[in-house]
Amino acid sequence: MTEAIEKTAVKKAQPVFRAVIQATYKENFAFRNNMAVSLITQPVFFLVQYFIWRSVFEAHDTVSGFTFDTMLYYFAVASLIGYLNWDDSDGTLQRLVQSGKFITFQLRPVSHLYYAFFEKVGHRILAFWVEMIPIFCFYLLFGIKPIPAVPGWAILSLALSFVLGFLINYTIGIMAFWLVKTNGLTRALLVIKDLCSGLFLPLTLFPDEVQKVLFFLPFQFVSYVPVRVFMGDYELAGIHMSIPQIVGLQAVMVVLTFFLNRIIWHFAIKRFTGVGA
Amino acid sequence: MAHTVDLPSPEGQQIRTNPVIQWFRIYLHGMKTSLAARMAYRTDFFMSMFIMMVVELGGPLVTVLIYDNGASFPGWQKHEVLLLQGVFLLSRGIAFPFFMGMVWNTIMRVQEGTYDLLLIKPRSILQMSIITAFDSEDLGKLIGGLLLFVYALQSVPALPLANWLSFFFLFIFSLVTMFAFGLFMAGLGIIWIGNYRIYEIFMTVMEFGLYPRSIFTKMFQTIITWVIPLSLLGSFPASALLGKPITDVLPAVICSLVFLLAGLWFYHRMVRNYTSAGG
Repeated sequence: MTEAIEKTAVKKAQPVFRAVIQATYKENFAFRNNMAVSLITQPVFFLVQYFIWRSVFEAHDTVSGFTFDTMLYYFAVASLIGYLNWDDSDGTLQRLVQSGKFITFQLRPVSHLYYAFFEKVGHRILAFWVEMIPIFCFYLLFGIKPIPAVPGWAILSLALSFVLGFLINYTIGIMAFWLVKTNGLTRALLVIKDLCSGLFLPLTLFPDEVQKVLFFLPFQFVSYVPVRVFMGDYELAGIHMSIPQIVGLQAVMVVLTFFLNRIIWHFAIKRFTGVGA
Repeated sequence: MAHTVDLPSPEGQQIRTNPVIQWFRIYLHGMKTSLAARMAYRTDFFMSMFIMMVVELGGPLVTVLIYDNGASFPGWQKHEVLLLQGVFLLSRGIAFPFFMGMVWNTIMRVQEGTYDLLLIKPRSILQMSIITAFDSEDLGKLIGGLLLFVYALQSVPALPLANWLSFFFLFIFSLVTMFAFGLFMAGLGIIWIGNYRIYEIFMTVMEFGLYPRSIFTKMFQTIITWVIPLSLLGSFPASALLGKPITDVLPAVICSLVFLLAGLWFYHRMVRNYTSAGG
């Protein structure tokens, strides 16, 4: 009986989620110029990185196992994954809790987690052609081909990192149920996440002890692992793994993070009170 | 019974008080108001300030990791690059809390329609935009810059007074360049409604100032000296302090003054273009 109800709920939910994706896409389409700012910032940022590493590699053939070309490839792919994974679910949830508007979601027959996830899907579909494709072309002009060594595994790894990135951000956003205004904390945690995920730098550049810690955290699976899957080999803290092994581990991390999210949510939602909104 | 106080007329005030002192008095008042408002969420304020400080150290972290992995920037030792970045962050740390807030203030007010309230005040719009935008949590940037600067100085032998004087001279122009950047951003914020990513554009461009000028190609060195004086943000003042040979200082200084004048012209031009329906 319960299974039947759940199946009916899922069937009913599918059009709702499609509607959320479409609405988010259309809403943000009106502000596509904001998104298009990345077409200025990313090439400039990449140029800075290019000069830094060109200068460094003038005197060294390899740095921490990376050559000049693989380093540029790393930054190119990491930036594209960064655009794919970006979301503001933490900020959105915090604003809803702070303003009390979250109460309207308590009245809707849709889980806010899934609602927020499909908002991200809609937003990122727009980003795909506004930000990612032009930046991809920029890299091609620069002689960098961000094409994966093993496309099937790379697509799977990207999908998992997309979900994991969302779950981490959403879990951070849940802190709003305790602190109400969490801009500072959120910014702190997001910086830690980005730094530890390898978005700014390959994690193998960090000292060995730090790498060992990073290996056991979920953050590397958001950026570093998908980039390494693109490159066709994985290594961190002296641990080498095959591509299927690391993608499998990534899937396990997604499941663990999902359950962690649900546990925290269970306690957080009990703290929420709202009147009217 | 109501009490009335005879306030001096604006003309009378200006006769009695030096305009610069008056400017600072109003600015201090703006600072106090901003701090008081931010203290409503103290934990968040201190957390934000701490994060600002930590985030600022992201660039130097790259430098530390590069040097710790046995690599380097040719001609620059680790502590020298860190000093350069400390100077850059110090300049940004002064600019952001004290006058760069005019950018978000302008963008927000134009978007909300409250920019008109500043325009009707009996002060210049630029002054009002700065006064009402003291960004207290950005003080974290200043602390971060100071910490890095002092840390990097520990590894430098005692420096002659001449180096310090040249440093301070060039550092003033670093702030002038930052202010010009702020003017361009605020001006853009008037016509590019609600786009907070204007910050991102300029912050990314400023990244060129975070590294030694010598790592760039000749063409880029020319651009960051003669067109947009980014070399003044870190590279030139740090080189002057360290006693390293520098070329093209004068063109960069002149360029920063031209950049400031262009920024002022652009800002006021954009203000003239501003239209609204009364907020």
